[in-house]
Amino acid sequence: MNKYFLNGLYSVLGFIVISAFAFKIFQPIKVLPRMQLSPAFSLVDQDSARLTSEDLRGQFVLYTFAYTNCPEACTAINDTMKEVQSRLSEVELDGISVSFVTISMDPQRDTPEALNAYAQSINANTEQWKFATTTNETLLKTIIGSGFETYYEKKEDGSFAFDPSFVLVDGWGIVRAEYRYATEVSNADRILRHLGVLAEEVRNSKGTTKLAYEAAHLFLCYAP
Amino acid sequence: MSTNQIHIDPYERNWMIISAILLVLFATAVSVAAFGMGIQVPAPEQRVDPRTVATDPNSPWSNPGLREIEPGKYDAYVLARAIPSWEYLPKEMTIPAGSSVSFYVTSSDVQHGFKIQDTNANFQVVPGQVSKLTIKFDKPGTYNFICTEYCGSGHGVMYGAIIVTP
Repeated sequence: MNKYFLNGLYSVLGFIVISAFAFKIFQPIKVLPRMQLSPAFSLVDQDSARLTSEDLRGQFVLYTFAYTNCPEACTAINDTMKEVQSRLSEVELDGISVSFVTISMDPQRDTPEALNAYAQSINANTEQWKFATTTNETLLKTIIGSGFETYYEKKEDGSFAFDPSFVLVDGWGIVRAEYRYATEVSNADRILRHLGVLAEEVRNSKGTTKLAYEAAHLFLCYAP
Repeated sequence: MSTNQIHIDPYERNWMIISAILLVLFATAVSVAAFGMGIQVPAPEQRVDPRTVATDPNSPWSNPGLREIEPGKYDAYVLARAIPSWEYLPKEMTIPAGSSVSFYVTSSDVQHGFKIQDTNANFQVVPGQVSKLTIKFDKPGTYNFICTEYCGSGHGVMYGAIIVTP
């Protein structure tokens, strides 16, 4: 009797180990990594209204960092933001809304009025796409630099040295993807694909499949 | 013992038990290090295009070097290359003691290595991938970094330094 019990125990253990390996190798479910918590902030947007990180909970948010007097580097950033907005219908989002936030690193010149004029000049839909900043420059450096891990520094002539980046944050306020480098696939294509992966996880994470999604996180089955 | 069980020499059995215990010990140690202590191994951060990584103006490696993202916290974008000469860009970085630096290293041509002496940073630099590791420099001094993967005739002159000022 004891022998049958041991054989059974070994079979179950072996099955668990083999399933774990199979899950890792074949990766039936892919997720986006939970990278870190996105920073909490309270900013002022282009309509002089308060915009906090809490206002943006429960939806996907794409952050980027720029300033309105930016010579040409920001054109590419704005083009990507616009392309993602115009192609959102390609993604099955199941009613989860997506917000876009451009945080300005130049609060001295980028007053709410300047941000509003800038939003008008690039035909931004300000219902969906907010432009915000805060006059507390120490706090701003902490939000953008430490929180979103994006470098910027003011130069002598008033322009900024910065690394263009996009940060995708989910409804729980967790950073799920960062786009810092030019890759073969354009940023807009990758952002749209990742929005689809996130929405699918939210849609399917119910009951037992939630455990499968947690396993995908545990085994680092990350979508490219 | 029943008669149908195979005979195992006691020495062999003991060694089998010891190896099984070792496996469990190692698995536990790795799990504790990874999940409990949060020790990180250099991982491919993200893919890049090695043909344009050093020239594209939107790529941070077109302007490699240190970036202070907040006081005491730096990002270091380091480019390892064999063309036109074997070198790291930048060759020298100066930071104050107590800073933590995240290294983002990539190659624009062949495979290189990146080892910083007296730290646990030692990783491959593969073209098309970004290797990332964060190191905190508490002690002042000069930390040399060298290429640890044979990458051609100039492999031996491929080095640089991180100078940590008090």
